[in-house]
Amino acid sequence: MIFRAVEDADLIRKARQGDVEAYNLLISRWEKRVYNYLLRILGEREDALDLSQDVFLKAYQNLRKLDDPARFAPWLFRIAHNEAFSAFRRRRPEGETLGEGEFPGLDVPAGAGAAFPIELSIAVTTALGKLNPEQREAVILKIYQGFKFEEMAEILACPVSTVKSRVYTALDVLKAQLAPLKSRGVT
Amino acid sequence: MSCSPFDLRDYLFGELAEPDRRQVEAHVHSCAHCNEDLERLRLTHSTLLALRDEEVPQRIGFVSDKVFEPSPLGRAWQSLWGSSPKLGFASAAMLSAALVIFAFFRPAAAVSAPPADPAKIEQQVSARVTAAVERAVDESEARQAAKATALLAAAEQRFEEQRQADRANMENLAQSIVVLQKQVNVSKSLLARANMEEPR
Repeated sequence: MIFRAVEDADLIRKARQGDVEAYNLLISRWEKRVYNYLLRILGEREDALDLSQDVFLKAYQNLRKLDDPARFAPWLFRIAHNEAFSAFRRRRPEGETLGEGEFPGLDVPAGAGAAFPIELSIAVTTALGKLNPEQREAVILKIYQGFKFEEMAEILACPVSTVKSRVYTALDVLKAQLAPLKSRGVT
Repeated sequence: MSCSPFDLRDYLFGELAEPDRRQVEAHVHSCAHCNEDLERLRLTHSTLLALRDEEVPQRIGFVSDKVFEPSPLGRAWQSLWGSSPKLGFASAAMLSAALVIFAFFRPAAAVSAPPADPAKIEQQVSARVTAAVERAVDESEARQAAKATALLAAAEQRFEEQRQADRANMENLAQSIVVLQKQVNVSKSLLARANMEEPR
């Protein structure tokens, strides 16, 4: 991870000097993570891909504003977070907010059936759909993207205690949904 | 309700220091309820991870376009203004340079003079006044002498011109007299000849 951060910093330095190929290489390292983050939030593959492109374009345009290249990951996901919630606002009528369980249905991953039971994927998708938007995003950033709580606070622009509370509350909900399920032998 | 000395979710996410982790592990070893709770948390975590990342359906990339690429100077300028630490460093460097330049080129501090003697000051003032008056008199006399010399030269020139003119007039008059004398002589000779011819 340290080596990767060092190489990312080098690519960022080159991209800042106008080296587009270096930036493309940087994209190839991060596109899968950004795409999957957006896919799990938006639930639409096409939207996730479009927004991923927007995220990397905005990141390129603002790359010189990134003071510390070592903080590239939270900085990039901050852009992705803003793009995702701008997309949410565009989708929904003004004044209407997302309620619990109203999240867009997340499609079952295309490749899940090959390596994992399809029931498990459906169970996880359904359980994630029970969370409210903030809890769901917190779980995605912590469990699937592996960010530290401090980095999540930077991405979500809120205190660490708030982030931690969202993750832990969500974890309790998910535990109630998933732990008995697996122990009953769904797998 | 967990009776663990620390939050089991902190343990799960590796948020505890090593001694705290050991305490939780010891507690879970002896507490069936917390042990089960931790197992459920682990199970939930591993179940969530069953949802694997998908591959990006289409690679994301940008094409280099020279038109939109900033010049090296532009990049340096944007780099400076786009970065707060660099801008702060540049400001500090400029301030330091200004201080160094001022230290080298500042005017010398005025040396405080001892209290002056009034008699000496009066003597100095008097000497300065005298010198100034003498200088003014000399300059005035020089101006007057130059003016007199110029006037004298002009008078001499006028006198010389007048003398030249008078002399020319005298010469003209003398020549006229000579011509007149010659005419008189010619007239006399003609008259004498006429008188000699008349008796015949």
